[in-house]
Parts: sequence; structure tokens; C-alpha cells
Amino acid sequence: MDGYQYNWDVVWQSLPELRQGLIITLQVSIVGMALAVVFGLLCAIGRLSQYGYLRKISIVIIDFSRSIPLFVLLFWVYYGLSLKFSINLTAFQAGAIALGITGGAYMAEVFRGGINAVDFGQREAALAIGLTQAKAFNLVVFPQAIRIIIPQAVNVYVGLLKGATIVSVIGVADMIYVAQYVSLNSFTPFEMYSAVGVAFIALTVSIAGLAYLLEMRLNRGRSRG
Amino acid sequence: MASEQPFFDFAPIWQAKSLLIEGFGIAMFSAIAGIFFAILLGLVVAMMRLSRYRVLRAIAFIYTQLFRGVPLYVLVLWIYFGLVFAVGIDIPRIPSGIIALALLNSGYLSETFRSGILAVDKGQREAGEALGLRPWQVNRFIVLPQAGRIVVPPTGNQFVDAIKDSAILSIIGVPELMKIAQEQANMYYRPFEFYTVAGLLYLVAVILVSKGISRLERRLARFSREKIEASSDADKTVSEVGG
Repeated sequence: MDGYQYNWDVVWQSLPELRQGLIITLQVSIVGMALAVVFGLLCAIGRLSQYGYLRKISIVIIDFSRSIPLFVLLFWVYYGLSLKFSINLTAFQAGAIALGITGGAYMAEVFRGGINAVDFGQREAALAIGLTQAKAFNLVVFPQAIRIIIPQAVNVYVGLLKGATIVSVIGVADMIYVAQYVSLNSFTPFEMYSAVGVAFIALTVSIAGLAYLLEMRLNRGRSRG
Repeated sequence: MASEQPFFDFAPIWQAKSLLIEGFGIAMFSAIAGIFFAILLGLVVAMMRLSRYRVLRAIAFIYTQLFRGVPLYVLVLWIYFGLVFAVGIDIPRIPSGIIALALLNSGYLSETFRSGILAVDKGQREAGEALGLRPWQVNRFIVLPQAGRIVVPPTGNQFVDAIKDSAILSIIGVPELMKIAQEQANMYYRPFEFYTVAGLLYLVAVILVSKGISRLERRLARFSREKIEASSDADKTVSEVGG
């Protein structure tokens, strides 16, 4: 092997494009996360419902969404669904939907775990002092559950952020897409992918750190109350 | 325009079934091999994180942060395309995929193993040392077997993730299920049918593995509960005798 000339200048030169790509990755993951929260909440409500059939349907939906690889979901939504039913989805929309389905299944379990972790006596006490079902949930159970939910939701988001990198496969111009494009022209895949990897590690580690701080803060309130 | 063609047509799936099954086999093989090496690597890194030498601890810490933070997609591209150019190591597709799966999962598993080892009562290690066992013997015969029971469920979940993640290996051309599905979907122009079937195959694999793990978990839990009950009975007898 002849000495490889490392060319890190390419990374610096393509920094504006990479930054643009990163913004798109963040956008896809945030829209996906928003969908996941809605979808997850619906599934969690179904799972905690008093009706047996609703619980069963929710379990099946959660199991399906969680067991199918994100990559397969992405292709299924973008090439399968949209072609078959002539829904003209953009690559961005398909990516966000696929992330929403996968993330929703995880969020459903996070919501359920958080709500179940609140002592049942809290709800009973709220009902005993005359609050309605809805008020007992909104004013007593949910504020306590959210402390448990938020840190775990951040973890789900980190997972979605990493998962969001695959949307470049269907042509969303995210950071990987830029890295691929640049390295094809300059023959510097090592430098470009290293840069993207480092950027992601920095991003996920700092988000995880923020989640940890947040958890500390939320727990501080808890020990006081 | 496609009026003469059926809306759903699963016949091409049947024609491509042997290819799909082969792809499924490669996907499962990649996931199993990836998890196997991830367990070995994860164990080494967990031991390093629990080492008394600060340098080893620091290296292990960076290792876990690195591989838990990097997306699999980037890691696969980096190994398959990046390393060839920079270091001149030309790793074929399937080994590249397995290495990526192993590295990524070892980051998660090392944390699992570390907490599993820490969850074993300290008295067990002390008792082993008091009996005159060497440090490696204490680890091999006393701590690791007990930690093993604790880490089975999370390791199983990691295996499930590896099965799902193996679909990403199609981007470097590993002829696993997703790659075959893509090729056949394009050939027959039936993406909906092929991706549905691919998804269902992954679903079946994931559900079967999850079922197996929870069964194993129940068995191990029963085993440990019996032991706890037995030991508490023994305590009772001792205290009765003593009283």
C-alpha cells in the first residue's frame, strides 16, 4: 500500500454543506419525534384502556412498529405505500413518517411505564377529593409521570436522531448524503465519514448529557415534594 | 394505467422465495455473528471499565461513548468505504457488516455487562478471595456466572436490535433480506409486496427471538428465586437451632 494522503481540507471546505445537511437531519428527526409522541400517546392510551379489545389492538400495533426495522419501514412507506396508493410523499415526509412509526412504539412504552410508575394511591386520592377522571389524570397523575417520561423520551430521540441518518438512502440531502457526494468527487470517504461520525458522537453525547442534567433537576423537585 | 394488472400481486414473492430465504439466512447470520463478537468485545471492555488502572478505564469509557454515539449507517460506510482508502484494508462486504454490528453492539453490551457485574453482591467476591481463589478464578467461577444471569434479558434485546439493524447492511451490498427485497422489488416493480413480506419476515424473527428470551428469563428467574428461598430456609434453620 502506498502512503495515503490524508486530505482533511475537504472536510473544512464542505463544512457549509455538511452544516446544511445536519440541519436537515435534525429537521427530519424532530418532525419524526413529534409524530412519535402523538402516535405513542395514542398507543399508550389504548394500552391502558379499560376495554380489552383496545388493549389488544394497541399491543399488536406496538409490537409491529417495534419489530420491523426502520430501514424496511422507510422503503415500505416511500416506495411501497406511496406508489401503491398514489400518495405523493416526498423523501423527507416518508423519512419522518417511518421515524414516527418506529419511535411511536418506543414512546408508547415510555408513556405507559411513566404513567404506571405513579403510585395508584395518588389517583385514588385525587378521585376521593372529588376530582373528575380527567382532572385526576391531568393535575395529579400526569405531572408526576412526566418526570419519568422526559429523560426516557430524550433517549428515544437520540435513537431517532441516529436512525434519521438512513433517510439519505431515499435521497434526502442530509449530512451523510453530503458526505457521500463529496467523497465521490474527492475520493476522501475516510475523512468525510470520520467527520460525520465525530459530529454525531458529539451531538448524541451532548444530548445524553443534557438528559442527565434534566433528570437531576426533575428529581430534585421530586425529593422536595 | 395498470388496470390489466392486479392491484396486489404476491406471485413474484413466491417466485423469488428461495432468494428471499437465502437473504433471510444471511441477515440472521450477520446478526448472530455480530452479537457473538459484540459479547466478546463487550466483556473485555466491561472488565477494562472495572479495572483498577485509570488508563484502561479511560480507554474503555471513550470506547463506549464512541460506539454508542455513532449511527450504524455511518459506521458501516466508514468501515467499508473509508478504511479501504485510508489504511488500504479491503474488507469484504459481509465481514464489514459483521464488524460494524459487533463494534456498535459491543458499546451497549459493555455497559450492560458492567452493571451486571456490579449487581453481583460484593460479599461473593470477598468470599471467593477468602477461599484463596485467584482473581481470575473469582471472576470465572463466582462473579461472571451470577452476572450472566442478570445480563441475559438485556443481551437478548440487543440481539433483537442487531437483527433489525442488519437491514442497514444492504447499503454496502450485503446480499441480506433487505437487499434481495430491493432487487426483486425493482425487477418485478412490486415494491409494496416485497417490502411488506420483508417486514413480516423480520417481524417473525424478532417475535420468535423475543419469545425465546422471555422464556429463558423466566427459567433463570425461577432458578434464582428457588435459590433465595432455599437459602432463607437454611437461615431459618440455623437461627432456630441457635435459639
